[in-house]
Amino acid sequence: MKKILAVLSFALPALLSAQTDVTVTIDPSQASQIVRIAVPFPDSVPKTAGATVAASEEIREPFFAPLTRDLAYSDAFAIAPLPPGIAPTIEVAKRAGAHYLLKINVFREGPDYLVDPELLDMTGASVLKPQRYRSPRAALTRTAHTIANNILRIVRGTPGIFMTRIAFASNRTGNWEIWLMDWDGANQTQITNHGVISILPSWAPDNERMVYTSWLKGTSDMWIINRRGGGRIRLHTGLNLNTSATFSPVNNDIAFVGSTNGNPDIYLINDAGGNIRRLTSTGSIESTPEWSPNGRQISFTSGRSGTPQIYVMDAEGTNVRRISFEGDWNDDATWSPDGERIAYTSRVRGRFQIRIHNTVTGETRIVAGEGSNEQPSWSPDGRWITFQSNRGGKWQIYRMRADGTDLLPLTSQGENKEPDWSKKLE
Amino acid sequence: MKNTMMKSFTVGLILIAMALIPACRSSRKAKPTTPTTTVTETVPDVSATAATETVVDTQTDFVREDPRPTTEELPTDLDALNRYVQERGHVRDAFFGYDESALSADAQAALTSSANWLRSNPQYNLLIEGHTDERGTEQYNLALGDRRANTARQFLTALGIDGNRLRTVSYGEERPFATGSNESAWSQNRRAHLVIVGTR
Repeated sequence: MKKILAVLSFALPALLSAQTDVTVTIDPSQASQIVRIAVPFPDSVPKTAGATVAASEEIREPFFAPLTRDLAYSDAFAIAPLPPGIAPTIEVAKRAGAHYLLKINVFREGPDYLVDPELLDMTGASVLKPQRYRSPRAALTRTAHTIANNILRIVRGTPGIFMTRIAFASNRTGNWEIWLMDWDGANQTQITNHGVISILPSWAPDNERMVYTSWLKGTSDMWIINRRGGGRIRLHTGLNLNTSATFSPVNNDIAFVGSTNGNPDIYLINDAGGNIRRLTSTGSIESTPEWSPNGRQISFTSGRSGTPQIYVMDAEGTNVRRISFEGDWNDDATWSPDGERIAYTSRVRGRFQIRIHNTVTGETRIVAGEGSNEQPSWSPDGRWITFQSNRGGKWQIYRMRADGTDLLPLTSQGENKEPDWSKKLE
Repeated sequence: MKNTMMKSFTVGLILIAMALIPACRSSRKAKPTTPTTTVTETVPDVSATAATETVVDTQTDFVREDPRPTTEELPTDLDALNRYVQERGHVRDAFFGYDESALSADAQAALTSSANWLRSNPQYNLLIEGHTDERGTEQYNLALGDRRANTARQFLTALGIDGNRLRTVSYGEERPFATGSNESAWSQNRRAHLVIVGTR
């Protein structure tokens, strides 16, 4: 048994240790207790005959790094640093202040990697249902996210966001196409190949389909596609524009912007392309609808006051009220999963910023920083916001906590924009 | 005195011809100095007869070539056709002010010129693309581009162009003509771009 593997667990990026000293609440009886988890680098000795040892370094980036990153950013755990050069036993973990020890065994069988995780409390009892994960190398990261989700559910009783995905538009192929990535920016996958402009993806609540805008037929149309890039259908509206489409969280309606005679308004259509209903009917520009999480309200942007501002109406189009009063250009409103906060793009002294409006208190605060920052989208647990920024010169997608801290760029190839975080916790 | 009384352009031309061509019969006639009053009285009601009287002799043609309508060989390739009509200013894009969808005097002139071309080339249809600069937000700009394209469309239909020949599409800020973050690029990108899209 190679004891030196324990040493490798100290090769965690420095940002993790800074990140993990967070006090979290487990349940009322354990309020403000930090749950420390020791995660030694996996053993790679096969427990079954016929399997071969996995070279340790080859699983660091695709498996170990995302696993520890997930746990460290979960707000439920702090990583307990283990001393180097010592076998990671319960005793060692206990001396390191850990409440749990995550022992993982990874080995090869043909092209597959077999992963056996074991979560032990400090009495040595296993708290995770014994389960073996088999995956090709390309799916090792998803295995790591799945294990992190399971640990979070067992220890904290809440689902994790580690298997959620972010849809976005990228021009790295030379055309704007729809892409997907994991919540940490890994596994960036192209799912359209139209060769025209395809933008503004928006997830259905089941995390299986999304609706987007494409000029595939020469005009802008709404298309529905599944997460693997198949099952594409075009929604015929008989209107112009047909953009900014977004699925209802509670039924099969899609809100979108349609236009007749140059008058863009908010409409509904069902996901089979039927039952079109018009919700707004002013002479001004209306755009960018977004559903409240309970599906009862729709926010949108309107130029009826002279500048683009954020409004909210009931889902039937009634009871319209304005909610943004600061800045001369506000757009891209999107609701937090608990419905209490609305993030939107707000121009402040010539630059766009992410502003968060509290629907209960009416207060707003700005959470983004340099450059222009647009198109916010909440993580399904409400702790994170992904958005696009040109602070580095080109449009790229970033992720930050809802309070603006822990900023991380998620993309770097070509230009990337319009992130939309999948809606369901998996 | 004589000229001020002439109401008919045809007759005026004929008189010029008479003055310039010595071999002309009527100029010979005119030599004996008929009183000007009699000429002015006869011309308005017998202009047709006057014209037949003043036909030039065949051997002394003044007009060297018959006037012909000018013919244009329009490129058959649509891309080439669009370059051709844009370069000659027959079809011109309309430009807009910041966050504006109203037509300026320049934009109206550009669309009037385009309407004239469309009227004399009824075999072609038109796609009107609405574009914005990069400064606003993308989704609102898509709506603004739609409004710009339709403002241009409505102006063309008001000038008598059949609405069935006109289609609109908005690109918002997605397909800029000029790159760069300055007023020069921005003003280039705020436009209704007119594209000839083919025969009816």
